[in-house]
Amino acid sequence: MSAAPLLRGEGLTRAFHRRGGLFRRGAPVMALRGVDIAVHGGEAVGVVGESGCGKSTLGRILLRLMPPSAGRVIFEGEDLAALPAARLRALRRRMQMVFQDPYGSLDPRRSVGAQIADGILIHGLAGKAEAGERVTALLHQVGLDPDHARRLPHEFSGGQRQRLAVARALATRPDFIVADEPVSALDVSIQAQVVNLLADLRAELGLALLFISHDLHVVRHLCDRVVVMYLGRVMEEGRASEVFHAPLHPYTRALLAASPSLRRRGNPVAPLAGEVPSIANPPSGCVFRTRCGLAQPACAEAVPPLEPMPGAPGRRLACRRAAELG
Amino acid sequence: MGHGGLRRLALPGGLLAGILLLALITPWLPLPDPVRQDIAGRLAAPAAAHWLGQDEYGRDVLSRILWGARVSLSVAFAASLLAAVAGTLLGILGGYFRGVVELLTVRVAEVVLCFPPLLLALLVVTLLGPGATTLILSLAILFAPGFARVAYAETLSARALDYVTAQQALGARSGRILIRTLLPNIAPPLIVQFSLTIAAALLLESGLSFLGLGVVPPSPSWGLMIRGARATMEQAPLLLLWPCLALSGVVLVLNLFCDRLRDVLDPRGRTQGRPGFLRRIAALPTPASPASAVPGLLAVEGLTVALPGPAGAPLVRDVGFTLAPGETLAIVGESGSGKTMTALAIMGLLPGELRVVSGRILLTDDDGRARDLLRLPEQALRRLRGNDLAMVFQDPSASLNPLLRVGVQVAESLHAHGATEDVQARVVALLREVGLPDPERAARAYPHELSGGQRQRVMIAAAVANQPRLLLADEPTTALDVTVQAQILALLAALKRAGGAMGMVFVTHNLAVVAEIADRLVVMYAGEVVEEGPVTEVFAAPRHPYTAALMASMPEGEAERLSAIPGAVPQPWAMPAGCRFAPRCDFAIEACRTAPPALVAPAPGRRTRCLRWKELA
Repeated sequence: MSAAPLLRGEGLTRAFHRRGGLFRRGAPVMALRGVDIAVHGGEAVGVVGESGCGKSTLGRILLRLMPPSAGRVIFEGEDLAALPAARLRALRRRMQMVFQDPYGSLDPRRSVGAQIADGILIHGLAGKAEAGERVTALLHQVGLDPDHARRLPHEFSGGQRQRLAVARALATRPDFIVADEPVSALDVSIQAQVVNLLADLRAELGLALLFISHDLHVVRHLCDRVVVMYLGRVMEEGRASEVFHAPLHPYTRALLAASPSLRRRGNPVAPLAGEVPSIANPPSGCVFRTRCGLAQPACAEAVPPLEPMPGAPGRRLACRRAAELG
Repeated sequence: MGHGGLRRLALPGGLLAGILLLALITPWLPLPDPVRQDIAGRLAAPAAAHWLGQDEYGRDVLSRILWGARVSLSVAFAASLLAAVAGTLLGILGGYFRGVVELLTVRVAEVVLCFPPLLLALLVVTLLGPGATTLILSLAILFAPGFARVAYAETLSARALDYVTAQQALGARSGRILIRTLLPNIAPPLIVQFSLTIAAALLLESGLSFLGLGVVPPSPSWGLMIRGARATMEQAPLLLLWPCLALSGVVLVLNLFCDRLRDVLDPRGRTQGRPGFLRRIAALPTPASPASAVPGLLAVEGLTVALPGPAGAPLVRDVGFTLAPGETLAIVGESGSGKTMTALAIMGLLPGELRVVSGRILLTDDDGRARDLLRLPEQALRRLRGNDLAMVFQDPSASLNPLLRVGVQVAESLHAHGATEDVQARVVALLREVGLPDPERAARAYPHELSGGQRQRVMIAAAVANQPRLLLADEPTTALDVTVQAQILALLAALKRAGGAMGMVFVTHNLAVVAEIADRLVVMYAGEVVEEGPVTEVFAAPRHPYTAALMASMPEGEAERLSAIPGAVPQPWAMPAGCRFAPRCDFAIEACRTAPPALVAPAPGRRTRCLRWKELA
């Protein structure tokens, strides 16, 4: 992975302002703080974390559906913030999104065929008649009956709707797709169908994928690399299989230990006490230290930088005690 | 929109169409000229030539009513249309672009709303002089802010929806998003607002005309007619009656139309049905045999739940299982498997339209007597709920009252079952038991001050407050983060160990959670039990292809590719004739598709609903 990445985020930070009083703004809530991320062409990157870790915000900022408060997003060498509106709209053809809620992401009042055709028509990729053929091909590609193009979204099940959402994202022949928890609203058996579909499409079309999920297990099945986030910061990053089999950061370890497993029997033991602190008032220093079994007084003093692990290419870790963890 | 909805619209819609038609064809009706005076027939009573009589200038009243309808309705309609277009535009632009646009559109509209409507209308009319055009303009100014408010609020909630973001992600221009995506989705409340506005405009138009600020005489208008009739009220009271009747009749029809329209456009259906016990008893045949003593704590036998009606598809069919004291039984299944409905049937809390068609649910008392919960009077069942029977729901935010301190809500379950002494101390002890840090302070907190996991702990505290004999947990960890899920599972396991004889039914879709918490499991598919047995044995050697496939689709194996179950759970009204899993089963043979397989026992304590279980082994 030495070539220039397809998409790069540098120092991405996002503050949300809560409603304050009449004359002052509320204290900013930092959903994302100084996150660096790169996605190469054809690569699948998983972003994992619990609610409030900023993973969805990151996805939306990378697609510039939301501007960052600081930092920049560079797609093939071009800073998205510096692009004129028309250029940005044209560039959107190449980067698409699949949302979490298959019930909310499709317009309930328009036929699914028309919604899949939207991207083709907006970017003038084909005429009306040819767009219809493309819709047929796309429905077939995601494993749905092409005759159902005229139906409305409510006539489909959750898994089928998620396939429709994938078809809509594929319609513009993008190079990069952000999938924001695309399977967490689905049943296990259906979840496997959609994960396999994404894996197949990736192999077939050479898509780059940013797969956002709270489930490390699913990410490992689909992704080359994984980024673990907590309270708006990256805790650990590395090849998916390495992070999964030899997690280093105490949070990654806890996350893995907390996922219930078929192979573990008997009395459940919680690996972590307490809950994710409020993002409005995060702990000083290392944000994870309040729940970390290894925390020392020094962890409260400074934010540990995300540093490359010596001897493990591509692996990065934000922990003061990294040396003891390997 | 169903056919039932359209039928509900038929009456007011028909009346409204009749009124409009009458107003439209008035010029072609054989009516006297509405402005032709006939001084000889002044204030004449109704007669064959003049059905409704003649007014103070001897003009035909019926003719003036109908011509007046044309004027009044077209002014009201035109004003409403103008208000709707202008208001909606302002509201959508303000709601979609926010910022300065919002300030210029919606906030300005709100200022207009601050003036008393009649005074504002008077001002506009005084400035521009009376006349139909002025009237339309002033009514439009009055009513536009209402549309702006509705459109603004709807746009604000719609623009946050994923399908609007999806349009942005596709690269659509703002104009396209506004017209193709937002407008159709915010239209229903605007349509209702439109019909309401017509009625209001009608009234205001009449009011202004009555004051002499609206339609200019001698043009007929209902307001002008009332104004004229008022002078001669004592000689000819009927003259006052006719325009008033016309006005209130049309307004009532419009309001009825709005009410029905709102129902039809609202996608949420209305529930009906008799409440509680009456509903349950009406559906149930008398028990086949008197409740005999059964071993264990809970025995569900032949439970069938269906939608009402002779063709009502059963959503849960012939479900049975038992639970021993101190045991944890997991009911596992995907959405549509009927697992939650089975739990709700045990609590007697099935949603309004569903009913138990047959079966028994036997709960054993302290003294060893079994009682059929399905045939218990509502009052007796209510005494059991929260006492012997307790339930924890999936969404802790939705099951706590946001206006009450959590301590009060836990205390309620103690009060409801007779506790009066040291309730406060017991509440704090319970909150400590479920692991809330600083329980004294937590008791005084409102639900929004607690995190999701803490709220679920409060729900569990309320459930175990009266040491229930049976705890039903319906997906209690599904809405929580994994690290918090692990904590809640550990808490439930600890409570079980401490509670001794408390049995637990744990409903979940997650097989891995089952592995951690349950002793035995029941696997449900499409409303039926397909496999049952001790957790260790079932996981070691599943005897039903569905269980095996479900385990294989869990994303935790080493396999490069996940194994998925093709297809989807069949809908209740389209169940396969044979085995319900056959269409998705790799092992299905012809015999599976012809007749539904029975539950068989492949080993002691185990059951499977598969013809080929031997070959699976």
